[in-house]
Amino acid sequence: MLVTMNGVRLSYGRWPALDKIDMEIRQGEFVVISGASGAGKTSLLRLIWMGDRPDSGIVDVSGFRSDRIRKVELPQLRRKIGIVFQDFRLLHTRTVFDNVALPLQVTGTGNRIVQKRVISLLARMGLSHRRNAFPHELSGGEQQRVAIARAMVAHPVILLADEPTGNLDPEVSMEVVELLLEINRAGTTVVMATHDPRQVPAGKGRFLFLDKGVLRGADRWTELDSDS
Amino acid sequence: MSLVKSALREISLNLHSRPGARLVTLLMVALAFIVFNTFLIISWNLQGIMDREENLVGMEVFLYRGISQAEGRLIGDHISSMQDVKSVYFVSPQEAEALFRADLPGRADLLDVMGTDFRLPASLQIVFETEAISQGRISELSRQIGAIAGVEDAVYGEDYLPGLLKTVTTIRRLVILLGIVLVSSISLVVFYTVRLSVVRRSLTVDIMRTVGAPWWFIRIPFVVEGIFMGVTGSAGGLALAAILSKVLSSAVTHRFMPMSWITLVILLGAVTGTVGALAGSYEKER
Ligand SMILES: Nc1ncnc2c1ncn2[C@@H]1O[C@H](COP(=O)(O)OP(=O)(O)OP(=O)(O)O)[C@@H](O)[C@H]1O
Ligand SMILES: [Mg+2]
Repeated sequence: MLVTMNGVRLSYGRWPALDKIDMEIRQGEFVVISGASGAGKTSLLRLIWMGDRPDSGIVDVSGFRSDRIRKVELPQLRRKIGIVFQDFRLLHTRTVFDNVALPLQVTGTGNRIVQKRVISLLARMGLSHRRNAFPHELSGGEQQRVAIARAMVAHPVILLADEPTGNLDPEVSMEVVELLLEINRAGTTVVMATHDPRQVPAGKGRFLFLDKGVLRGADRWTELDSDS
Repeated sequence: MSLVKSALREISLNLHSRPGARLVTLLMVALAFIVFNTFLIISWNLQGIMDREENLVGMEVFLYRGISQAEGRLIGDHISSMQDVKSVYFVSPQEAEALFRADLPGRADLLDVMGTDFRLPASLQIVFETEAISQGRISELSRQIGAIAGVEDAVYGEDYLPGLLKTVTTIRRLVILLGIVLVSSISLVVFYTVRLSVVRRSLTVDIMRTVGAPWWFIRIPFVVEGIFMGVTGSAGGLALAAILSKVLSSAVTHRFMPMSWITLVILLGAVTGTVGALAGSYEKER
């Protein structure tokens, strides 16, 4: 089991953002977490990369337990996790190449390996010709592809994508989802949070639905669909 | 090895980014330090003046005319061994005469009139330990010294001493109080300015965190930046204060700060800058 949550509760201030979360994610899964704005999707992902720790319950990610992990161990956990955000979060002052190379450089990977890996990854993502560009010179779709490349460059076991298509038009969104599915087919576990689960074709993933901080189980997106 | 290299690269990237914002921060820090340095220069000079004033608080002990040089020195040794006495200087009749001629050249004829047999009395110039100086202690010492055989009279500034001592003490206390207030406010200004300039880059910190950078790797560029801004800011403040001091030196005679104070000012800049940068890069992790 890659991720396990048992009786997890997380609150910011008075009200719980997440409550009674029991969840398991297996190696190689493509998990789609949907729910309305404020339902707790981002919070759930933050628990996985341990940007937050639960008030009660335990989160276990690849053997790192939220109740035991020490602060100095957090970087080790995060090197196993790739994260993609809605707003891309690229460093504006660095080129595409340097943005993608960052996760390798912070672990002291040798320069030759960095060059090789970043160049081949950019080629696979169709970004080779943009490698010396700065983020503001790219389209939204390109920026998100750079962010995904950055998340994947260190070969994480799990890729977390928080509304990766939130700032993109439908056509580009489809491309990004397709890219995530491809990454998943190549073996990486993917957890994608989105307010619109219809972006992912049924049968291509496991669908979870968050309702005001409570997990409502699988395949509820059809219900959500009929609601709207 | 590669990690150290990447860290160095981060440090240099960080120092080269946002030159405008950094300049503003540096100016703020330097300005804060000009205020502080001006205060330091004034209090350093005040210190000098007060030390000189206090050194004037001595005593002149006149010896009987029959006392020989050797006896005079013996009395001097005795006084010198008394508590709170810092130094005793023996003034022989010849020296007294020379001093008289030097101090009052117009009245030298007085000595000539007295003839070659006339001798000014030998005396002892006494300086007290600065900390010991108090009205009561000095009059007590004057009584004790006056009672020593061979001493004709022990004179000190009975009339101006109390006022002087009170003024000096008050000024000292005020300077220390003002110093504490200034050190705290300068520290706060530097701390918050540097912190703000680092907080503006919290996105970088966030990204570094999510890609698994070790905490020292994330913080070291900011620490270096904090030291850099603290040191250059305070050194800039010192340089500006030095220029100001130079310009004003013809109008007001004064001296610049001693090296030890300059070092402390730069250290203060470095420490507050570093702490500010660290605080700015600090992220709450639950
Ligand atoms: N840092 C925070 N401080 C206080 N409350 C927070 C914080 N982050 C999230 N919350 C609250 O927790 C709840 C869940 O927020 P979360 O961001 O996880 O929702 P979400 O499903 O990701 O929403 P969205 O689709 O808008 O991104 C919300 O009620 C939100 O207001
Ligand atoms: Mg969210």
